[in-house]
Amino acid sequence: MQLRVNFSSGVPIYVQLMEQIKHAVETGAVRTGEQLPTIRKVADDLAMNPNTVARAYRELEREGVIEVRHGSGAFVAEVETGAKPVAIAQASEGLRRAIEAGARLGLSEPELRRVFEQELSHVIGDSGAASSATDKTPGGAEPGGSGERSSG
Amino acid sequence: MLWYKAWLETRWRFCFVAGSILFAWAAPLWAPLFHLRPPAGIPASRLWLAVHMASVLLYIFAAIFLAGSGINSQTTYAATSGFHPSMLFTLSLPVSRRRLLLVRAGLGALQTGVLVAIMAAYTLFARPEATTAPQFLTYLARAIVCTMAIYALSTLLACVFDEMWQFYGAFLSCIAAFLLQYRISVLSWLSPFRGMSLISYPITGPMPWASVIFSLVLTAVLLYASMLIVQRKEY
Amino acid sequence: MSEAVVETHGLSKSYDNKPALRSLELNVPRGSIYGFLGRNGAGKTTTMKLLLGMLRPDAGEFSLFGETVRSEASSVAARRRIGFVSEGKDLYSFMTVGQMIRFTRPFFPGWRRELEEKYLKLFRLPLNRSITKLSKGMRTQLMLLLAMARGAELLVMDEPTSGLDPIMTEEVLQALADLAAGEGMTIFFSSHQLAEVEQICDHVCLIDEGQKVLDGVLDDLKSQYRRIVLVFDSAAPAALAGLKGIDHLRRAGRTASMLAHVDVEGVVARTQEFAPLSVEVHPVTLKELFLDHVRGE
Repeated sequence: MQLRVNFSSGVPIYVQLMEQIKHAVETGAVRTGEQLPTIRKVADDLAMNPNTVARAYRELEREGVIEVRHGSGAFVAEVETGAKPVAIAQASEGLRRAIEAGARLGLSEPELRRVFEQELSHVIGDSGAASSATDKTPGGAEPGGSGERSSG
Repeated sequence: MLWYKAWLETRWRFCFVAGSILFAWAAPLWAPLFHLRPPAGIPASRLWLAVHMASVLLYIFAAIFLAGSGINSQTTYAATSGFHPSMLFTLSLPVSRRRLLLVRAGLGALQTGVLVAIMAAYTLFARPEATTAPQFLTYLARAIVCTMAIYALSTLLACVFDEMWQFYGAFLSCIAAFLLQYRISVLSWLSPFRGMSLISYPITGPMPWASVIFSLVLTAVLLYASMLIVQRKEY
Repeated sequence: MSEAVVETHGLSKSYDNKPALRSLELNVPRGSIYGFLGRNGAGKTTTMKLLLGMLRPDAGEFSLFGETVRSEASSVAARRRIGFVSEGKDLYSFMTVGQMIRFTRPFFPGWRRELEEKYLKLFRLPLNRSITKLSKGMRTQLMLLLAMARGAELLVMDEPTSGLDPIMTEEVLQALADLAAGEGMTIFFSSHQLAEVEQICDHVCLIDEGQKVLDGVLDDLKSQYRRIVLVFDSAAPAALAGLKGIDHLRRAGRTASMLAHVDVEGVVARTQEFAPLSVEVHPVTLKELFLDHVRGE
């Protein structure tokens, strides 16, 4: 599992680590029951703060993604098969439609990318509480009620 | 390890002073090479007097020069000015400032004492008359104690001033004290300078107790004042 | 449960009637890597010197390892557990690398020989070279070695990586991360290199003109703070400054930018009163936090 962190990003580092580990679990890069590298190893490899790594592991354990067995280390927990791939398929579908809509509006690839990244970091940045944004119905990025959008 | 550090800091100064003294004392050996001779007809006792007075001046010089710079680090080649940045390293160590001062002052005092002993030995054993061991030791004791008063003065000035002003201040104070002792007879009685001198107090005469005790007290007071200053200083 | 290793209350210090520190309140938790940020002359070095007993405070007090430091004796006792790296990285010019190590070792009964050897090898420091012949980078590394090998519980460092090339910097950061993980050391350091601070610190504190303006867990600050950018049809209204809950408004032509960290959604809702053309909400980097808090209106 290759972990990479952007220290200068506005996204908290522990959140970045969590996302990467979750992604590794989803894509099968690490399997159920496999042991994760120790906190110390991660901190050493990335030359970063071990407390931050510890926090990521704690949160992952709280979310049930990993299990910490005392004395042995951290292990990937049981992954519910089926739920994630379906969710991924649905999200991909929704995103594709949004991109097509944006392209129809005349946005170029760099512009689309920028809009995407802005919305993404905005959503992730709210401490993982992705539901704070208004519901996005598949099929288009409609201006919502909270005013947290960019406009053309 | 503080003694080791103090030694590393001061060894060249010490060698410089010791070397100068030895060079001066070796004059009878190298002077003839330059056709330098004392004028004929001068009695040995007069020559001895001159050597003695020179050595007393050298006690004072050594005391002032070797007294260090309080607890500041010193370099060999540059006069200490302000405080050397390595002070911050020293001060971050778990050592009290009192101990820093006492070690540095202690080493300088030892060095001065050694040089005083060498010079005293030379002058006494160069006397036309023989000197006994007890006589030598008594003189040595009083010479060292009286020199320490000057040493303590230089140490105190070092805690307040830069090295240059420390030296000037010490020399000027000595000159002023020396001159004053001829005006105020009480000072003359207490004077460390006279206590060091075999002219004022010959070897066969009584011990200058007043000078010796006064020098001891003065040394203690000046060192204590140095300690107070060093403890309150800000870096 | 984890006590603060360093705590200051109302710490103040002036030089020649010019205040360098004004009532500073610091709290450095045990085991944290604490980044102390500020402009030059903001008071970072003064704070460290006060903690180590090189200066005396004009007002206020501080405690180290849970004990208030009031006398020289308590300062000396605390220093047995502290390693210090000064800004100038100055050591005794009349000594060699080996002599500096041999000199420093006896002061610390908890000296860690393994760490000494490890860092000697890692930093490739030549034992017999005189201090005067070391580059600044190597002096920094030696000073770090002396601080880290002494078995201290707290490292206080003034710009530990200034003057180091990127490889040395990474080695140092790795060593610090290692010490924090393995030895549970608390590391308190000042730096201008925001990138490093973001890499290694979990807590940060920003001081400006002798006062604390921001502190907290870095990841939390990044979670909480948002930059809100508004674009208007005409010049951005000055009345925006009255918006509740914003920090540091900056207006330039038709754009207004502000930081908010509490109830960001509420703030965004309130900006609607000013009828902006667009509202954007962005995450905030440490650099932006620094610049805004130090230069903000």
